[in-house]
Amino acid sequence: MVGLSEGEKHFIRGGIAQDLRTDGRRRLQFRAISVETGVIPQANGSARVRLGATEVIATVKAELGKPSILHPDKGKVSIFVDCSPTAAPMFEGRGSEEFSAELCVALQRCLLGGKSGAGAAIDLSSLIVVDGKVCWDLYIDGLVVSSDGNLLDALAAAIKVALSDTGIPKVNVSLSATTDEEPEVNVSDEEFLQFDTSSVPVIVTLTKVGKHYIVDATSEEESQMSSAVSVSVNRHGQIRGLTKRGGAGLDPSVIFDMISVAKHVSRQFISVLDSETLAAEAAE
Amino acid sequence: MSAAAAATDGTYSPAAAAGEKRRERKEELRRHLAEDADWPRADGRSFHDCRPAFMQTGPTTAASGSAYAEFGKTKVIVSVFGPRESKKAMLYSDTGRLNCNVSYTTFATPIRGQGMDNKEYSAMLHKALEGAVMLHTFPKTTVDVFALVLESGGSDLPIIISCASLALADAGIMIYDLVTSVSVSCFGKNIIIDPTSDEEAWQDGSIMVAYMPARKEITQLTLTGEWSDGKITNAVELCMDACSKLCDILRERLKDAASLAE
Repeated sequence: MVGLSEGEKHFIRGGIAQDLRTDGRRRLQFRAISVETGVIPQANGSARVRLGATEVIATVKAELGKPSILHPDKGKVSIFVDCSPTAAPMFEGRGSEEFSAELCVALQRCLLGGKSGAGAAIDLSSLIVVDGKVCWDLYIDGLVVSSDGNLLDALAAAIKVALSDTGIPKVNVSLSATTDEEPEVNVSDEEFLQFDTSSVPVIVTLTKVGKHYIVDATSEEESQMSSAVSVSVNRHGQIRGLTKRGGAGLDPSVIFDMISVAKHVSRQFISVLDSETLAAEAAE
Repeated sequence: MSAAAAATDGTYSPAAAAGEKRRERKEELRRHLAEDADWPRADGRSFHDCRPAFMQTGPTTAASGSAYAEFGKTKVIVSVFGPRESKKAMLYSDTGRLNCNVSYTTFATPIRGQGMDNKEYSAMLHKALEGAVMLHTFPKTTVDVFALVLESGGSDLPIIISCASLALADAGIMIYDLVTSVSVSCFGKNIIIDPTSDEEAWQDGSIMVAYMPARKEITQLTLTGEWSDGKITNAVELCMDACSKLCDILRERLKDAASLAE
């Protein structure tokens, strides 16, 4: 993206101050969102989400692995994000590594919960096959196909839809008489289990421009931001994660205000996303 | 024949029994942490006590500024170089650049080489300091901040941030205010401050706050896990209060260093 001129910057900031953005939206209004599921048939679950001109693909792959020593009764979930150079020239070479890592860590913070598993988007205990020996490892991959701002919200929405599209094969275990031996597992080809995604949160990013903050910032608006707060909220209004981005400092009362606004805005966003998901699954 | 048959019929397995006991002990400890209202922590602190802090400026003579910090078992050393000429590949910039790098020694963690997973610490340190450093005072040049964790004992990143701001001040870089940082962990209903690595391994959630006390601005805030609204507010205010006290300690260190220099 070519840099903005001073006149353009002034226009954007002035518009936001008057609650009228360059594309006609108000400060707390999202761009149109569209959802497709099952776009990658080889994956256990996949989704493509388009938020304005921002487009991301999320896939979920499940593999059998060994539980971690610290939590032998829980499965494992890993999240990776790839910013492809096809999305924006600035993602060429190593330019995207730090940005991908930042998105990846923010998503992990919002979806994986605390170390004890409390607050996680998925009940990790449901991923256990044999305690201490066999569990499902979920690999969640996000791919940025087109970038026009607000990647974090789009990625979180895509992961939520991909998880609702995910089918985990049912596993039958024949335990051997000796407990020390590896159990024999039989992965079913017909039966699949699905996740309860009602508690999977969405991320709402509030971007501060001048004295106001906006949701769903475009690239141009993001270039004018002083800082941003990404809040992860689930359907029940519970906060599951929070990340402040951008370098400028924020007054604590502004942050608390942003949190309550994010909870309010996320209610509508979740209902729109849910209806789009149902429509996409019906069309599949 | 009968002796061999008797040996085969035995079902006792010491490894399995020990594993089972260990798991029960951990589950009991976790229940104890989450539900009991007031328990002394493993190192004797109460819920809202930080670990004893030792901070010192100037351990590295080659650097423009440096600082060393110990909080309990966590030991961190930070060096600051610059402002110095940016590399030629970088474009012209009206403001200065801040470059941060956080690394762990291979012996920093109980298991060798385990600290390599914290790649995001460099970016988070950069964002915490970016709001405090007056970048416009050194255009076209770069300030490098290198942090090395000598021993990881929990709450590593907040200590790195506090130590780095002390190193920046020691280097004479102009900053709006010292940045101090504190984190809290959540166990059920209980909030404990400045968790150790053992406590971090079992937390239900955590909050980290980087704060400029004189300006009353938060430069970095991250939250994970399960928190209710009221608890978030209480935890952030607890962190800000602890940051203010830590900032007083940092100011004393800088005054001492200035007195010694005269």
